[in-house]
Amino acid sequence: MSLASTASAKAQPSMLARLFARQELALLVCLVLVLVFFSATVENFLSVRNMTNVLGQASLALTAGIGCAIVFISGEVDISIGSLLATIALPLIIIMNDTNSLLLGVSAALLFGLIIGAVNGYLTAYAGINSLIVTLGTMFIMRGGVYLYTGQRAISDDAALDSFIALSDGRLFNIIPYSAVIAIVLLAAFGYMMQHRPFGRQIYAVGGNQEVARLAGYDVRRVKFICFIISSLLATVAGIILAARVGSAQHTAGLNFEFQVVAATVLGGVSLAGGIGSLTGMALGVLILQFLSNGLRGLGLPTEWQLVITGIIIIAAVAVDEAKRRRANGG
Amino acid sequence: MSVDFLHPGEGAAIDTDVPALELRGIGKRFPGVVALDNVDFTLEPGKIHALMGENGAGKSTLIKIMAGVYGKDAGTIRMRGREVDIKSPRDSLKEGIKVVFQEIALISEFTVAENIFLEGYPTGKAGSIDWKKIRADSAALFNRIGFDVDPAARTGSLPVSQQQMVEIARALAHEARVVVMDEPTSSLTPNEVSLLFTVIRRVAALGIAVVYVSHKLDEVFEIADTVTVLRDGRHISTRPIGEHTNDTLIQDMIGRRIDNLFPRKRGAPGSKVALSVENLSTAKKLDEVSFEARAGEVLGFFGLMGAGRTELAKAIVGYDPITAGTITVDGQRLAPHDTRTGVKLGIGLLTEDRKSEGLMGELPVYQNASLASLGAFARLGFVDKAKENRAVQDYVDRFRIKTPSLFQQVKNLSGGNQQKVLISRWLMRGLKVIVVDEPTRGIDVGAKSEIFALIDRLAGEGLAVVMMTSEMPELLGLSDRIAVMCEGRLTAIMSREEATQEKILNAAIG
Repeated sequence: MSLASTASAKAQPSMLARLFARQELALLVCLVLVLVFFSATVENFLSVRNMTNVLGQASLALTAGIGCAIVFISGEVDISIGSLLATIALPLIIIMNDTNSLLLGVSAALLFGLIIGAVNGYLTAYAGINSLIVTLGTMFIMRGGVYLYTGQRAISDDAALDSFIALSDGRLFNIIPYSAVIAIVLLAAFGYMMQHRPFGRQIYAVGGNQEVARLAGYDVRRVKFICFIISSLLATVAGIILAARVGSAQHTAGLNFEFQVVAATVLGGVSLAGGIGSLTGMALGVLILQFLSNGLRGLGLPTEWQLVITGIIIIAAVAVDEAKRRRANGG
Repeated sequence: MSVDFLHPGEGAAIDTDVPALELRGIGKRFPGVVALDNVDFTLEPGKIHALMGENGAGKSTLIKIMAGVYGKDAGTIRMRGREVDIKSPRDSLKEGIKVVFQEIALISEFTVAENIFLEGYPTGKAGSIDWKKIRADSAALFNRIGFDVDPAARTGSLPVSQQQMVEIARALAHEARVVVMDEPTSSLTPNEVSLLFTVIRRVAALGIAVVYVSHKLDEVFEIADTVTVLRDGRHISTRPIGEHTNDTLIQDMIGRRIDNLFPRKRGAPGSKVALSVENLSTAKKLDEVSFEARAGEVLGFFGLMGAGRTELAKAIVGYDPITAGTITVDGQRLAPHDTRTGVKLGIGLLTEDRKSEGLMGELPVYQNASLASLGAFARLGFVDKAKENRAVQDYVDRFRIKTPSLFQQVKNLSGGNQQKVLISRWLMRGLKVIVVDEPTRGIDVGAKSEIFALIDRLAGEGLAVVMMTSEMPELLGLSDRIAVMCEGRLTAIMSREEATQEKILNAAIG
């Protein structure tokens, strides 16, 4: 067995290398660098108020990003989430206006999200259509539907329920926005699922190698189907928070939101090829981009530049990641 | 009720009178091919049953039907007398049929331990995964088997031989009734093979039926109780191993004498050096490889899995980057190191992976054949279709490529005919050196001899043929000289006359 043991010794990288190979650590370092840079250059950047504000702003992308990352890990993509944000606001606001019940409104929104997720999932997993195409299609259909239904006018939240408004400006212990609390709780729950529940590992296995997963007895189609439902439901939650924030159902709500989420998810080291990445990485990706945008605004840089910088960062991050992976596999 | 290798003695005793698994009249057809025709296969509990046959005989298809990867078109499957319906791998696993596939079927991003329990994670309270148990059990499993693998390692970072051990361990991690091993020793060292045999005997002693698929005769004589031979999708024989000799087994497998497969028509190789490789190294695998190939010669390269044959093939044609060394084709150095230069100098690769690296399946035969020589058919930058088609038709006739027309999508051709299309592509370009990597992989026996004849003819026409193969008969039947690789190094070069299977294998082990 001498051959085998030398080979395994060669295949084992040093502790330090393994630590640095951890995507999350590298991202955390990046986040800290961003925070340090802007705390030195932007006044009040590190204040509790600014920090919690950014967290509140990030909560939409964090929540929807969970679903986006899960679908990525399963080896598919879902870009319909931005349109879904606008679409689910319709049943939400209309039913709340009619019934004065937050519960009924939210249930209707979630039901709608569930149906969209099931459609995306069915067409991808069971009908075998490429998920990029499927969700591109549902993205257009939903956006077009919202334009048609609203006549491009906002439907305002006339019920103005306290509990609904609290979603936008309420803060736990008067510090942390409720929206951020929701995002953090969901992150923890789904993060646990992905690492410690058999279903979470099945998602990794399916994305890592579909054929192997099938041979191990997994129902690959069912796993993917459920991932799309999770994604749509989480985007629905983000949509509910957004509707509370703007106090209405807007036909332009969530425009380009899917690309912000995809950008953050990819920056967070979740591979489009499937099987690789973590929700922690995704969350760090969201926070890096959110703090960056907040800091650049603090420096007085126009939004246009933020877009350019975000684009450069994403390509650079994925390029570095790819180089690292190639070296790791090269042995 | 069934048996668990990790916790033996906990299951009930196995009734040895009833077959563990009984396949009757199994039939399976794919478009254009009858893969299995009325095949019977019966496994007794506690017995080791070898399944033999040449490539394309139907072994893989039969295994995949047992594993639930393919559905059967005809026949019945019984587990311990009870008819079962196996529609998916899940059904098969549930019945306790565990298959170790020849291709590594592991998630490379997962740890070894997680891969072992992929089929069903042990869960603790509230259904969460019990990682501690997974680590402990997989360590215990390796310990019991005697394999030296780190359960915490990332699977993709391990060498192929260790991944193969992980696969074998995985089949034993759960309760099993039937364990199928498809060429499990292809990348193991002799030491590891003997360990594996000990394990297989212990598994059988627990009352599990073992299917051992191999084309290595000595292994089968050592381990098997019974041998079933398939040929061209049909059941040929099932006999106790004691009734077989080497000759009778080979007779059953190929149905004719082996030397007919390699008709040699070419003369002796010339003395002109067509390809010279000096101290070639690559980042991943190759380590100072040097050799020469002469015009008119077939130089066969042998090596176990992971020895670096494919890497060498891809490096010398300029496809993969090299870190050191020189390649000279017909007196001219291959620099810069890319395929464009390679093709210009006259060296081309016939890839082992026709589907993803060789053919454009959706495109017609003529476009696949003319791909490398479009320049020759061009007039003012446009391809002269008539000229192109005439040239392709010429090769279709010469090589007797069976295709309804030049416009047939190449994916609809048989493996052997696809291979001929690829060879035409290179010959049309006017090559001096052709590198062929596993030229008969996935090609059925009948078509094989045609490919062999074609390779013989290529050398006869004055090309230097560098042939990478893992098939011993092919190596011995075709080569003028034989080079052997191990772990990226060249360990021996010998003439065909001095070569024996033993010498070659010794050099391959390194």
